[in-house]
Order: sequence, then structure tokens, then C-alpha cells
Amino acid sequence: MNCKDCSEKLDRFVDRELNSTEVLELQLHLESCPDCQDHYEFEAHMKRLVKHSCDCDTPPAFREKLRQLLS
Amino acid sequence: MAESPARTAFAEEALTHLDTLYRGALRLTRDPDQAQDLVQEAYLRALRYQHSYQQGTNMKAWLFAIMRNLFWDRFKGSRKEDVSLDDVGEFVLYEKLRDEGARPEADVLDKLAASEVVKAVETLPPLHREVVLLVDVEGFSYKDAATALGVPIGTVMSRLHRARQQLQKSLYDYAVESGIVRGNGRPQVQQ
Repeated sequence: MNCKDCSEKLDRFVDRELNSTEVLELQLHLESCPDCQDHYEFEAHMKRLVKHSCDCDTPPAFREKLRQLLS
Repeated sequence: MAESPARTAFAEEALTHLDTLYRGALRLTRDPDQAQDLVQEAYLRALRYQHSYQQGTNMKAWLFAIMRNLFWDRFKGSRKEDVSLDDVGEFVLYEKLRDEGARPEADVLDKLAASEVVKAVETLPPLHREVVLLVDVEGFSYKDAATALGVPIGTVMSRLHRARQQLQKSLYDYAVESGIVRGNGRPQVQQ
């Protein structure tokens, strides 16, 4: 695998959508390529940042209202 | 009249997915009151059409599908109103920052405020925003996201790719405007 192949598969790797063979190939490349490893960590960080930033819980009063409405 | 045990059990299970539906509704409508109305309507509709849910399939995806369909019906009128993304080309934030001499994680990601990330997500067109919500925020697989959105997996992948590029472009623009990086990507010198 070269850096271009790695870059093309990075989204699916971060999203855990590659098959086991592809994962192995990509991991082997990352171990030997610090730049791709940094890129992978950046994209994984970006995904976590979006998740944590958009995280919020349902307001408790609304949850209770809905529970009563549906019971 | 007391509700049937089956209906009660269904409602209980459906309510375990409330946070996912509320988060999705809030980011789609960008308004807490409209989000609550949308979620309530989605749950009432889910109970009404309980018989159409196939046991053993992904209830969270099924509920999200009901909610987002209501969103498109109620808030957008027509799916054609969704605007497409501007073509930002192949914008890879990591490469841009690295090529311009910044440390992409330490200099930029660590300094972005959560509110700016939310703003960038909420300014994506809804068709692209909902893919980011499902895959990045809720952790759906591409297959489950495709089920919830009623599109092929390839469409999920292409929308996600474009949405992430737009998101990274928006965050880069914000980083430049707010002085986190200079226009050439270099971090500001700490005083």
C-alpha cells in the first residue's frame, strides 16, 4: 500500500468500515509511515471532536413528558 | 383504557433511543422547541405504525428514519429545497495545515471551540448534515445510515466525504478568521 491508497481508505478506516484484510494492510502502512499515521490520528481526532461537540442529552422535563404521553 | 403490554414494551424500547432522536432533531431544526415537537411527533407516529417495524431489525435506524422524514415534510416542504454543497474541491485540512507549516492537531484541533464545530455542522445542507449526524455523532455503520436515510451505501459514503471536506473547510476558515492560524496556515506566535 502507498500513501495515496492509504489516504483514500482513511475515511473508511476511521469509520471501521474496512474488511479485516484491508485493515491489516493499512495498519502495516501506518506503522512504516509517520506522516500517514499523523494524518490518521488527525482524522480520528476530528471525528471525536464532531461527536463530542454535537453531544447533548434530552432535557429531562421533555423526556418525562414524552414518557407519560406514550404510556 | 390501559395500554397493551406489547405497546408499552415497544414504547419503552423506543424511548431508549430518545437521545439519538433528540440530538438529530436539534441539529436538523437548530431549535430546541422545534426539535421537541419533531421528536414527539416521530414517537407518536412510530407507535401508530408499530406494526410496520420488523422485530430484530435496527429500531434506532427505523425511528431516525421516521423523524428525518417528518423533518423533510414539515420543515423543508420539499426535498428539492435542499441546497447542494459548494464545490470546495479536494480540501484536506490535515494536508493544508501541514503543508503550511502548522501542527494540525496541537495548533488547530485542540483550539477549536465546540460551539464553532456545532456551527460548522449546522451550516451543512441538511442532506449532508444528517449523514454526519448518523455516522460521526451517533456511530452508525454506513449500512445502518443507508437504511435510515433510504439511500444506497455509496450515497452515504459520497455525502459523508463531501460533508467532511466542507466541515474542514469551514473550520479552517474559522481558524484563520479567529487568529488560530494565519492565512498561510501557520499558528499565531504565542504572546
